[in-house]
Amino acid sequence: MRYADFTPYDLVLLAQGLGVTLGLFAATTLIGLALGAALTVLHYYRVPVIGHVVVAVTELLKNSPVLVQLFLVFFGMPAFFQVNMTPVTAALLTVSLNTAAFAFVIFRSGVEAVDRDQIEAARVFGHSRWQILRRIISPQAAAFSVGPLIGLLVNQLQVTSLISVIGVADLTKIGNILNLRTLEPFVVWSVIGLTYYLCAKALAALGGRLERHLRRSVVWQGL
Amino acid sequence: MIEINNVEKRFGSAEVLKRINLKVEPGEVVTILGSSGSGKSTLIRCINGLETLSGGAIRVDGNDVSTAAGLAAARRRSATVFQLFNLYPHMTVLQNVTLAPIHVLGQPRAEAETRARALLDLVGLTAQADAYPQRLSGGQRQRVGICRALAMQPRYLLLDEVTSALDPEMTGEVLDILARLAAEGTTMVFVTHEIEFARRISDRIVFLEAGELIVDMPAEAFFSEEGGLAVPRIRKFLSKMTKD
Amino acid sequence: MIRSWNALEPHLGFLLEGFALTVAACVLAVAGAVVLGALIASLRTARSRAARAVAAVYCDLFRNVPFIVQLFFFFYGLPELGIYIGAFETGVLAMSIAGGAFVADVIRAGILSIEQGVIEAARVFGLGRWQIFSRIVMPNALRVSVRPMGSVLINLVLTSSILSTITVNELTGTAKIVAATTFMPFEVYAVLLVLYAALTYALSLAVAGVHRRLNRGMPEAVA
Repeated sequence: MRYADFTPYDLVLLAQGLGVTLGLFAATTLIGLALGAALTVLHYYRVPVIGHVVVAVTELLKNSPVLVQLFLVFFGMPAFFQVNMTPVTAALLTVSLNTAAFAFVIFRSGVEAVDRDQIEAARVFGHSRWQILRRIISPQAAAFSVGPLIGLLVNQLQVTSLISVIGVADLTKIGNILNLRTLEPFVVWSVIGLTYYLCAKALAALGGRLERHLRRSVVWQGL
Repeated sequence: MIEINNVEKRFGSAEVLKRINLKVEPGEVVTILGSSGSGKSTLIRCINGLETLSGGAIRVDGNDVSTAAGLAAARRRSATVFQLFNLYPHMTVLQNVTLAPIHVLGQPRAEAETRARALLDLVGLTAQADAYPQRLSGGQRQRVGICRALAMQPRYLLLDEVTSALDPEMTGEVLDILARLAAEGTTMVFVTHEIEFARRISDRIVFLEAGELIVDMPAEAFFSEEGGLAVPRIRKFLSKMTKD
Repeated sequence: MIRSWNALEPHLGFLLEGFALTVAACVLAVAGAVVLGALIASLRTARSRAARAVAAVYCDLFRNVPFIVQLFFFFYGLPELGIYIGAFETGVLAMSIAGGAFVADVIRAGILSIEQGVIEAARVFGLGRWQIFSRIVMPNALRVSVRPMGSVLINLVLTSSILSTITVNELTGTAKIVAATTFMPFEVYAVLLVLYAALTYALSLAVAGVHRRLNRGMPEAVA
């Protein structure tokens, strides 16, 4: 057996990489969705300057490469602001913000999709703006947003693969390590690719079930 | 001559056409009447090969439409005008009319365009040659549909409820053109609900009921007391249609 | 904190070279993706069951595996097969293949949106199957899919930054070098971010223009 051959330990390595990928995906998803929702509320209240800034920044994040965003945070911020930045922190920050930007756009169009007449009716009945957002807009906007959000998250799972470039030991980085050691690119990248594929499929299936469940409950409430 | 011999058409277990026999001679205008669901449109779709026959045979000038070569030849001799126009949405009016002459008949583009413009003049669409179909009214679209058919210089014109999607005024625009074509001796197989118009231009009227051809007689006879009106189902159909 | 922007000036020519390479990669990849996408889309709507299955698997696979993994698969894998092409060519190939999967989905939707009656008319007028496909089906499908195709192509531009990970010195690659030599990573990457956003914005304007041109004569509600 050559040193470069695959060993059983490589499976542990692979599992660790998968763990890092999924952990980072889960964390950035939670932060990103929360932040996206918060930005949507800010935008809903039409806070003068902040609303426009939020829109401009999210557009910038949506229309530039995640890789460049990662470089800006990982290499640029420590140099400019004299702060410490580990690869994991940079990855968490960048991917969370990126997810937040896309989530903001999805939530916002969800809010805009709610029938204006209902909102006017609620206003006539004397509900406050917050009550209207909380009781009338949010449940409906959430229902509208579920489908696009699932698409977004399947995509963001793939986006996490870029953090390997700044040195986070995620699934793709493990692929790099194994590729260099074994010089079996076909085997290595097929396995890595298949793992991502299965994760994406599982995520989409999970999301589909959630969507059906939500739709059923919304319909049931409607009756 | 269009010969329809013992034609049957089934969709699953539903018999839409039952042993239909019909001949259309050159120069004739034959109108097919019947309530909706009687199989009129299906019969047209069998003649132009959009439906495959479940039994029997259709020949257009001897070309059997159930064979590939026969169907190709039959389609060069006949042209169809559709109820919902079915114009090509990505092409201008002129392109709609010249597509088949150029690419099926192999006419030179210049010749095809000259002929197409002449046809458009004829139906009053000179100014619309370079417009896209979506910009036209329904009546204008159907006149384009007629030009597209005539550009093939067909021996037989197949008309499938060509005014059903039009309001009365637009229906008038289209029927005027058809009357002119009939007077010029164009052979037509005409599926319609326009009873009065059918009476005026038809040589023969054929009546379909639940997939069966129950009457085939000269137009004059069809509307006479001792002819078509003597058949209770036709009397009922006509009184219902003229009441609307 | 504020450093002299003049320090970047000597590197502008180099950055411009990188930009030119980005444009070249994108133009080639877009062409490749559209050709491949049209081919896959026609397979997905073909009569043959096997053709449909192959095309569906293609789209599913290349949409659900991160691009960087696909890129490494080709970059390290092709030499194994005795195919020696440069990093740039490999990058364009990978972008075309991945982009083709997205373009195929868009064109397929376009094909399915064509009214059956229009195709029946073409058949009745004696056009052959190839003529109907090339003169009726494809032009219509492309016409309605310009806008969604635009967002696929914009994504492709953003994706091109990932080519920097396989030694292609396109815009992101050159920026990385400039950031390292000037010790101004924050400024360099910030400018880069804005540059990409400007590029994609210009592209979206161009897409809107093409859409209007191809949909001449269509009522706005339909277009």
